[in-house]
Amino acid sequence: MSRSRTGSYPAALSLVAVAALALSACSGGGSISGASGGKTLVVDTSFNLKTADPGRMFEPTGQIVDKALYETLLTFKGGDVTKPVAGLASSYELSADGKTLTLRLRTGAKFSDGSAVTADDVVYSLNRVVALKGNPSFLLDGVTVSRTDDSTVTLTSKKANPALPFILPNPALGILNAKTVKAHGGSETYLNKTSAGSGPYTLTSFNTNTQVVLTKNPKYTGPQKPAYDKIVLRNVQAPTQKLNVQRGDSQIALDLTSDQVKGLTGGLKVTSGPSSDVIFLLLNQDTKVSSATANAEFAQAVRKGIDYDGLLSLAGTGSVQPAGIIPSTFLGSLPSSGKTTRDLAAAKAALKASGIAKPSVTLGYASDLTVDGLSLQTLAERVQSQLKEVGITVTLAPAPTTTELDNYRNGKEQTGLWYWGPDYPDPSDYLVFLPGNLVGLRAGWKAGADDTLTALGDKAATTTDQATRKTLYEQIQTRLNESGPFIPLMQPSRNTVAASSVTGVAYNPVWTIDVAALGAK
Amino acid sequence: MSPRWVPSRRGAGGVGGRLLARHPLARHPLARHPLARFPLARFLLRRTATAVLLAFGVTLVTFVLTNLVPGDPAAASLGQRAIGDPAIVAQFRHHYGLDKPLPVQYVTYLGNLLQGDLGESQQSHQPVLTDLSTAVPATLELAGAAIVVSLVVGVAFGVVAALRRDRFTDQLLRVVSLLGVSVPTFWLALLAFYVFFYRLGIAPGSGRIAPDLTAPPHVTGLYTVDAALAGQWPVFWSAVGHLMLPALVLTAYTVGLLTRFTRSAVLEVLGQDYVRAARAKGLPARTVLFQYVLRAALVPVITVAGLAFGALLSGTVLVESIFAWPGLGAYAYRSATTLDLPAVMGVGLVVGIVYLTVNLAVDVLYGVIDPRVRVQ
Repeated sequence: MSRSRTGSYPAALSLVAVAALALSACSGGGSISGASGGKTLVVDTSFNLKTADPGRMFEPTGQIVDKALYETLLTFKGGDVTKPVAGLASSYELSADGKTLTLRLRTGAKFSDGSAVTADDVVYSLNRVVALKGNPSFLLDGVTVSRTDDSTVTLTSKKANPALPFILPNPALGILNAKTVKAHGGSETYLNKTSAGSGPYTLTSFNTNTQVVLTKNPKYTGPQKPAYDKIVLRNVQAPTQKLNVQRGDSQIALDLTSDQVKGLTGGLKVTSGPSSDVIFLLLNQDTKVSSATANAEFAQAVRKGIDYDGLLSLAGTGSVQPAGIIPSTFLGSLPSSGKTTRDLAAAKAALKASGIAKPSVTLGYASDLTVDGLSLQTLAERVQSQLKEVGITVTLAPAPTTTELDNYRNGKEQTGLWYWGPDYPDPSDYLVFLPGNLVGLRAGWKAGADDTLTALGDKAATTTDQATRKTLYEQIQTRLNESGPFIPLMQPSRNTVAASSVTGVAYNPVWTIDVAALGAK
Repeated sequence: MSPRWVPSRRGAGGVGGRLLARHPLARHPLARHPLARFPLARFLLRRTATAVLLAFGVTLVTFVLTNLVPGDPAAASLGQRAIGDPAIVAQFRHHYGLDKPLPVQYVTYLGNLLQGDLGESQQSHQPVLTDLSTAVPATLELAGAAIVVSLVVGVAFGVVAALRRDRFTDQLLRVVSLLGVSVPTFWLALLAFYVFFYRLGIAPGSGRIAPDLTAPPHVTGLYTVDAALAGQWPVFWSAVGHLMLPALVLTAYTVGLLTRFTRSAVLEVLGQDYVRAARAKGLPARTVLFQYVLRAALVPVITVAGLAFGALLSGTVLVESIFAWPGLGAYAYRSATTLDLPAVMGVGLVVGIVYLTVNLAVDVLYGVIDPRVRVQ
């Protein structure tokens, strides 16, 4: 065998490899703005997306998509969720008893097919959300929608519902073109292929695993015309998002953690602030589950034993410790001066007063769950070591989310580490933490366990005056902090990274980001 | 000379060639069977029947395992408020048939499966078949490109290493192949993406095509093929470009594996008497290599290639995540973590079918390469 013949193989193979990379290079990466004759904005996010149908949608990525495709009766401006502003309705009025909300529709509003938005479309769309019995149906529990005249709709609630103006901006309550949707049998498949709204964008393509493409709606009649002709929302994991936005392959990255945004260069703008997700510790009040956690002094020992600042250091810049269970940016939140601080001596004294010798509890949490980039596993380990200093043995009981959710929802956890993301930015969403309510029951806190708190809750739920509501919710949280089974730990930071060419970036707790409100330099 | 196999000089040829006329079965009592004259057809028929049974076995195992996992699909799928409403939970269970006893659920699944219905995904709200029709081609495009490159490069490296035994080239290739099998694929993916995309800027970013391009009309689901069929050449080149880096990353392990196996197989054959005889009688080196050495050495290589393809499919889970490649790995991960049972079943079935098909292909290839297999 001639050796000289075979000597050329490695060289040839090297050439193949080089050629492959060269070919790869030819197809190019880099910025794509303007590549198809208009401005394109690429937004990278880790998808949590099931559907584009507003009546069925209640996932974070779905909120971004539907916010761009559908207009709602009321909306919020930027990140300010304390004041609903005009959307498809130019004005609204809540009756004194809080049961009747009257909305007047904006004149001249048109769907993307050019037909006018009518009161009938509003009635159809909102009734559809309730009838579908999907994730967002609860938003309109007990609400009847009726058409008063061509340009007025009335929403009547069985009980006083002062939160309704704060609920209506949710993109799940986007207004559909009733005629078009009915013609397609109200089908979700149809609404995942194309949109039937009056929003600033229309749906071009939709894939729950890959990407969603939105195209500017030329017939949009809203106040602010969108700056980009096309929006591409891509499903990308956080580490890759960072490289993409740095390289200019995307213009916005939504899921970078505080560690990942450190030292970002190249003219990128980082917007950091507290998320509206509140991570809390739950102490079960059911003595059958744990006699220790049901003990009020033990709860006090835990509350005083946690080093809140130590936990915040895990979440980085932008994270805050809420003084109560209501996020710091919402109406009714307690001022930061009221937040609990660590007092090791008081914690040990409380533990002694509890009469429990060598207390030992298990801490259930979803080990695969990250809240705004913060792993609950890391947080649980820190809580464990902090409580050890008090003299409480915490045994970690990690499980996959799907498994642990069952334990949490069935009230089986002795202590649990969870978070509550707001369904709508109104303090009434947090009444679920009261005894006998959804989350209260998960902590074994049955109805009748605290009548004062229940009475306060009932009053807050039906009070319409904003100042009185604020006072009531503050009172509720103060009492919850004193004797409730929940210990609010933190609101992690929420970072949005954008190219310098993008303006108007604002984090909104409901829809994360309004892509139609973004400007271009 | 020991009674060793002397390779046919007629080349690889077809399986159903003249050899089969002298097949022992031709004189067997069963020879009257209509398929007796077509052993390959019989073989394929038998294997396909087995594969169908195995596929049903796969569905049973997947079904039992997914239902053994503690956790409630309704809790995993419904929102924090909806789960508190018994009417919504009941509707969810009814919609997905979760309110029926498990055996009934399984039988219903099988009945639907026979009609080509794999159920509806609880996450995407679409038929699982629709989801798979985009996820499977994405992964096949990636793994297919990777296995082709691996076979070409791995076998070539192995042959070169064997021919240059203990020389510098051999040592170098052995180090390269050792690195290939040792380096974790996800780490290499991160590194490659960082270096070639972020630092050097010569590779395109994540995804299957550039974001400003529209996916080609769905025919095969392979973007390269579909774009070429539609004559959309910018999309084609973008798809090829996006395919390169993740495919090359995936090849690192399989190239290393194939190099090592090919090298040892070729070395073994090179020492055989018939190779020496072929050289002694003055046959050209190329003929000896391709017709005498490689053909005999390929049998173990084919086995490893089959296994490597399986490894590629599992390796894609992490690579797909890093390159934002919307394939089967990403779909399987999402389905499993959200207890999306119909999707998990669909993925299990597809992976099972791929393995069965690859094994069948490997077995047929044995027959193509090694005549002894054909007469057994």
